[in-house]
Amino acid sequence: MQISTEELEGGVTRVVLDGRLDIAGAQAIDLKMNVIAGSHKRVLLDMQKVSFIGSMGLRTLVVPAQAIKGRGGKLVLFGPNEMVESVLKASAVNTLIPIYHEFQSAVAALQ
Amino acid sequence: MNTHATKTDEESLTLQSKLSEIARVPPWIEKLTARHAIPGRIQFAMDLCLEEVLSNIIRHGYAAEPNHVLVIRHRNDRDGRFTLIVEDQSPAFNPLLVKNPAAPHSLEEISGGGYGIPLLKQFADSIDYEVLSNGNRMTIAFVDRDSARPAPRTTSR
Repeated sequence: MQISTEELEGGVTRVVLDGRLDIAGAQAIDLKMNVIAGSHKRVLLDMQKVSFIGSMGLRTLVVPAQAIKGRGGKLVLFGPNEMVESVLKASAVNTLIPIYHEFQSAVAALQ
Repeated sequence: MNTHATKTDEESLTLQSKLSEIARVPPWIEKLTARHAIPGRIQFAMDLCLEEVLSNIIRHGYAAEPNHVLVIRHRNDRDGRFTLIVEDQSPAFNPLLVKNPAAPHSLEEISGGGYGIPLLKQFADSIDYEVLSNGNRMTIAFVDRDSARPAPRTTSR
Protein backbone atom coordinates (compact mmCIF):
# COMPACT_ATOMS: atom_id res chain seq x y z
CA MET A 1 0.00 0.00 0.00
CA GLN A 2 1.37 3.35 -1.08
CA ILE A 3 0.30 6.72 0.32
CA SER A 4 1.06 10.19 -0.97
CA THR A 5 -0.25 13.66 -0.24
CA GLU A 6 -0.89 16.75 -2.30
CA GLU A 7 -1.95 20.20 -1.09
CA LEU A 8 -4.85 21.65 -3.10
CA GLU A 9 -6.27 25.17 -3.13
CA GLY A 10 -8.54 26.10 -0.27
CA GLY A 11 -6.56 24.27 2.36
CA VAL A 12 -7.60 20.84 1.12
CA THR A 13 -5.16 17.96 1.46
CA ARG A 14 -5.54 15.18 -1.08
CA VAL A 15 -4.31 11.86 0.28
CA VAL A 16 -3.88 9.24 -2.45
CA LEU A 17 -3.93 5.57 -1.48
CA ASP A 18 -2.72 2.92 -3.91
CA GLY A 19 -2.98 -0.80 -3.26
CA ARG A 20 -4.75 -3.20 -0.94
CA LEU A 21 -6.16 -1.85 2.31
CA ASP A 22 -5.92 -5.24 3.98
CA ILE A 23 -4.18 -6.04 7.27
CA ALA A 24 -0.71 -5.45 5.85
CA GLY A 25 -1.81 -2.36 3.94
CA ALA A 26 -3.48 -0.88 6.99
CA GLN A 27 -0.40 -1.47 9.10
CA ALA A 28 1.74 0.16 6.43
CA ILE A 29 -0.14 3.47 6.45
CA ASP A 30 -1.74 3.75 9.89
CA LEU A 31 1.00 5.91 11.33
CA LYS A 32 1.07 8.26 8.35
CA MET A 33 -2.72 8.53 8.35
CA ASN A 34 -2.68 9.44 12.01
CA VAL A 35 -0.01 12.09 11.40
CA ILE A 36 -2.13 13.54 8.59
CA ALA A 37 -5.21 13.49 10.79
CA GLY A 38 -3.33 15.36 13.49
CA SER A 39 -2.10 18.09 11.21
CA HIS A 40 -4.79 18.69 8.56
CA LYS A 41 -8.43 19.68 8.81
CA ARG A 42 -9.74 19.22 5.28
CA VAL A 43 -8.80 15.84 3.90
CA LEU A 44 -9.88 14.30 0.61
CA LEU A 45 -8.99 10.63 0.70
CA ASP A 46 -8.55 9.50 -2.90
CA MET A 47 -9.43 5.79 -3.05
CA GLN A 48 -9.53 5.33 -6.82
CA LYS A 49 -6.53 2.98 -6.72
CA VAL A 50 -7.60 0.98 -3.65
CA SER A 51 -8.39 -2.52 -4.89
CA PHE A 52 -9.45 -4.13 -1.61
CA ILE A 53 -10.57 -3.13 1.87
CA GLY A 54 -11.18 -5.28 4.94
CA SER A 55 -12.14 -4.53 8.52
CA MET A 56 -8.65 -3.37 9.46
CA GLY A 57 -8.71 -1.05 6.47
CA LEU A 58 -12.01 0.40 7.65
CA ARG A 59 -10.37 1.17 10.96
CA THR A 60 -7.61 2.97 9.08
CA LEU A 61 -10.27 5.29 7.65
CA VAL A 62 -12.50 5.69 10.68
CA VAL A 63 -9.91 6.55 13.32
CA PRO A 64 -8.40 9.48 11.37
CA ALA A 65 -11.88 10.67 10.36
CA GLN A 66 -12.84 10.79 14.04
CA ALA A 67 -9.64 12.65 14.93
CA ILE A 68 -10.14 15.21 12.16
CA LYS A 69 -13.75 15.78 13.14
CA GLY A 70 -12.68 16.16 16.75
CA ARG A 71 -10.45 19.00 15.67
CA GLY A 72 -13.28 20.69 13.79
CA GLY A 73 -12.32 19.37 10.36
CA LYS A 74 -13.71 16.91 7.84
CA LEU A 75 -12.57 13.88 5.85
CA VAL A 76 -14.32 12.71 2.70
CA LEU A 77 -13.76 9.67 0.49
CA PHE A 78 -13.34 10.00 -3.24
CA GLY A 79 -13.72 7.43 -5.98
CA PRO A 80 -13.82 3.99 -4.35
CA ASN A 81 -14.46 1.17 -6.81
CA GLU A 82 -17.72 -0.76 -6.68
CA MET A 83 -16.46 -3.58 -4.46
CA VAL A 84 -14.63 -1.31 -2.02
CA GLU A 85 -17.74 0.85 -1.81
CA SER A 86 -19.82 -2.24 -1.08
CA VAL A 87 -17.68 -2.84 2.03
CA LEU A 88 -18.06 0.80 3.09
CA LYS A 89 -21.82 0.45 2.71
CA ALA A 90 -22.06 -2.95 4.40
CA SER A 91 -20.31 -1.52 7.44
CA ALA A 92 -22.41 1.69 7.33
CA VAL A 93 -19.21 3.73 7.28
CA ASN A 94 -20.60 5.53 4.22
CA THR A 95 -23.38 7.03 6.33
CA LEU A 96 -20.88 8.89 8.47
CA ILE A 97 -17.93 9.46 6.14
CA PRO A 98 -19.31 10.81 2.86
CA ILE A 99 -18.33 9.22 -0.45
CA TYR A 100 -18.04 11.22 -3.67
CA HIS A 101 -17.41 10.04 -7.20
CA GLU A 102 -16.94 13.51 -8.71
CA PHE A 103 -13.72 15.19 -7.70
CA GLN A 104 -15.11 18.73 -7.65
CA SER A 105 -18.00 17.64 -5.46
CA ALA A 106 -15.58 16.07 -3.01
CA VAL A 107 -13.50 19.25 -2.87
CA ALA A 108 -16.62 21.41 -2.52
CA ALA A 109 -17.78 19.33 0.43
CA LEU A 110 -14.65 20.34 2.28
CA GLN A 111 -15.06 24.10 1.76
CA MET B 1 3.17 -22.39 -1.16
CA ASN B 2 1.63 -25.53 0.21
CA THR B 3 -1.14 -26.20 -2.30
CA HIS B 4 -2.36 -29.26 -4.08
CA ALA B 5 -5.21 -30.20 -6.37
CA THR B 6 -7.15 -33.44 -6.29
CA LYS B 7 -9.62 -35.15 -8.62
CA THR B 8 -12.47 -33.75 -6.57
CA ASP B 9 -11.47 -30.23 -7.50
CA GLU B 10 -10.33 -29.40 -4.01
CA GLU B 11 -7.24 -27.36 -3.30
CA SER B 12 -5.81 -26.45 0.04
CA LEU B 13 -3.55 -23.89 1.63
CA THR B 14 -1.96 -24.34 5.03
CA LEU B 15 -0.98 -21.27 7.04
CA GLN B 16 0.85 -20.75 10.28
CA SER B 17 -1.02 -18.78 12.92
CA LYS B 18 0.63 -15.45 12.18
CA LEU B 19 -1.13 -12.41 10.73
CA SER B 20 1.67 -12.02 8.19
CA GLU B 21 0.70 -15.42 6.75
CA ILE B 22 -2.62 -13.98 5.56
CA ALA B 23 -0.67 -12.23 2.80
CA ARG B 24 -0.40 -15.68 1.14
CA VAL B 25 -4.16 -15.87 0.68
CA PRO B 26 -4.81 -13.32 -2.13
CA PRO B 27 -2.35 -14.95 -4.57
CA TRP B 28 -3.88 -18.34 -3.76
CA ILE B 29 -7.36 -16.96 -4.50
CA GLU B 30 -6.06 -15.46 -7.75
CA LYS B 31 -4.89 -18.91 -8.83
CA LEU B 32 -8.27 -20.39 -7.93
CA THR B 33 -10.00 -17.61 -9.82
CA ALA B 34 -8.01 -18.32 -12.95
CA ARG B 35 -8.40 -22.08 -12.66
CA HIS B 36 -12.15 -22.10 -11.96
CA ALA B 37 -13.30 -18.91 -13.75
CA ILE B 38 -14.54 -17.49 -10.46
CA PRO B 39 -16.39 -14.18 -11.03
CA GLY B 40 -14.69 -11.01 -9.75
CA ARG B 41 -17.41 -10.32 -7.20
CA ILE B 42 -16.92 -13.73 -5.65
CA GLN B 43 -13.13 -13.41 -5.76
CA PHE B 44 -13.42 -10.18 -3.76
CA ALA B 45 -15.89 -11.75 -1.30
CA MET B 46 -13.62 -14.79 -0.80
CA ASP B 47 -10.67 -12.51 -0.18
CA LEU B 48 -12.62 -10.43 2.31
CA CYS B 49 -14.21 -13.33 4.19
CA LEU B 50 -10.92 -15.19 4.52
CA GLU B 51 -9.11 -12.11 5.81
CA GLU B 52 -11.79 -11.68 8.48
CA VAL B 53 -12.05 -15.35 9.45
CA LEU B 54 -8.31 -16.02 9.52
CA SER B 55 -7.41 -12.85 11.42
CA ASN B 56 -10.13 -13.63 13.95
CA ILE B 57 -8.79 -17.15 14.51
CA ILE B 58 -5.18 -15.99 14.77
CA ARG B 59 -5.81 -13.03 17.07
CA HIS B 60 -8.53 -14.48 19.27
CA GLY B 61 -8.66 -18.26 18.79
CA TYR B 62 -4.92 -18.78 18.96
CA ALA B 63 -4.31 -15.62 21.03
CA ALA B 64 -1.56 -14.64 18.56
CA GLU B 65 0.51 -17.73 19.41
CA PRO B 66 2.46 -18.44 16.20
CA ASN B 67 2.99 -22.22 16.33
CA HIS B 68 -0.42 -23.41 15.20
CA VAL B 69 -1.85 -24.07 11.77
CA LEU B 70 -4.95 -23.17 9.81
CA VAL B 71 -6.03 -25.16 6.79
CA ILE B 72 -8.13 -23.65 4.01
CA ARG B 73 -9.68 -25.83 1.35
CA HIS B 74 -11.49 -24.72 -1.77
CA ARG B 75 -14.15 -26.84 -3.39
CA ASN B 76 -15.71 -26.13 -6.77
CA ASP B 77 -19.15 -27.67 -6.58
CA ARG B 78 -19.53 -27.22 -10.35
CA ASP B 79 -22.98 -25.69 -10.03
CA GLY B 80 -21.88 -22.09 -9.71
CA ARG B 81 -21.19 -22.57 -6.03
CA PHE B 82 -17.65 -22.06 -4.71
CA THR B 83 -16.91 -23.21 -1.18
CA LEU B 84 -14.11 -22.42 1.26
CA ILE B 85 -13.58 -24.63 4.29
CA VAL B 86 -11.43 -23.31 7.13
CA GLU B 87 -10.26 -25.61 9.91
CA ASP B 88 -8.27 -24.74 13.00
CA GLN B 89 -7.48 -26.25 16.39
CA SER B 90 -8.30 -23.27 18.56
CA PRO B 91 -10.97 -23.33 21.31
CA ALA B 92 -14.53 -23.65 20.02
CA PHE B 93 -15.98 -20.35 18.87
CA ASN B 94 -19.01 -19.85 16.69
CA PRO B 95 -18.86 -16.42 15.05
CA LEU B 96 -22.43 -16.83 13.82
CA LEU B 97 -23.61 -16.33 17.40
CA VAL B 98 -21.98 -12.91 17.62
CA LYS B 99 -24.61 -10.18 17.37
CA ASN B 100 -24.00 -7.41 14.89
CA PRO B 101 -23.25 -4.07 16.55
CA ALA B 102 -25.93 -1.41 16.47
CA ALA B 103 -25.65 1.04 13.61
CA PRO B 104 -23.78 4.16 14.79
CA HIS B 105 -25.56 7.50 14.61
CA SER B 106 -22.46 9.67 14.55
CA LEU B 107 -18.81 9.39 13.64
CA GLU B 108 -17.93 9.63 17.31
CA GLU B 109 -19.99 6.50 18.02
CA ILE B 110 -18.19 4.33 15.48
CA SER B 111 -15.94 1.78 17.04
CA GLY B 112 -12.56 1.33 15.41
CA GLY B 113 -13.16 -2.42 15.35
CA GLY B 114 -15.91 -5.00 15.27
CA TYR B 115 -16.51 -4.92 11.52
CA GLY B 116 -15.06 -8.32 10.71
CA ILE B 117 -17.82 -10.77 11.57
CA PRO B 118 -20.63 -8.58 10.20
CA LEU B 119 -18.72 -8.28 6.91
CA LEU B 120 -18.25 -12.04 6.83
CA LYS B 121 -21.98 -12.57 7.26
CA GLN B 122 -22.85 -10.06 4.57
CA PHE B 123 -20.40 -11.14 1.88
CA ALA B 124 -20.81 -14.91 2.19
CA ASP B 125 -23.86 -16.54 0.66
CA SER B 126 -23.92 -19.23 3.33
CA ILE B 127 -21.88 -20.05 6.42
CA ASP B 128 -21.88 -23.35 8.26
CA TYR B 129 -20.04 -23.69 11.57
CA GLU B 130 -19.10 -27.01 13.17
CA VAL B 131 -17.28 -27.82 16.39
CA LEU B 132 -14.67 -30.52 15.77
CA SER B 133 -13.18 -32.81 18.38
CA ASN B 134 -10.04 -30.70 18.28
CA GLY B 135 -11.12 -27.35 16.90
CA ASN B 136 -13.46 -25.60 14.51
CA ARG B 137 -14.59 -25.92 10.93
CA MET B 138 -16.22 -23.12 9.02
CA THR B 139 -17.69 -23.76 5.59
CA ILE B 140 -18.29 -20.59 3.61
CA ALA B 141 -20.05 -20.73 0.27
CA PHE B 142 -20.33 -18.18 -2.50
CA VAL B 143 -22.88 -18.33 -5.27
CA ASP B 144 -22.50 -17.18 -8.84
CA ARG B 145 -25.89 -15.61 -9.33
CA ASP B 146 -25.62 -15.93 -13.09
CA SER B 147 -26.09 -19.69 -12.62
CA ALA B 148 -29.19 -21.44 -11.29
CA ARG B 149 -28.76 -22.67 -7.73
CA PRO B 150 -30.55 -23.32 -4.46
CA ALA B 151 -31.39 -20.53 -2.05
CA PRO B 152 -28.62 -19.34 0.30
CA ARG B 153 -28.65 -20.58 3.89
CA THR B 154 -26.86 -19.89 7.15
CA THR B 155 -26.65 -22.62 9.73
CA SER B 156 -24.61 -23.65 12.75
CA ARG B 157 -24.44 -26.78 14.79
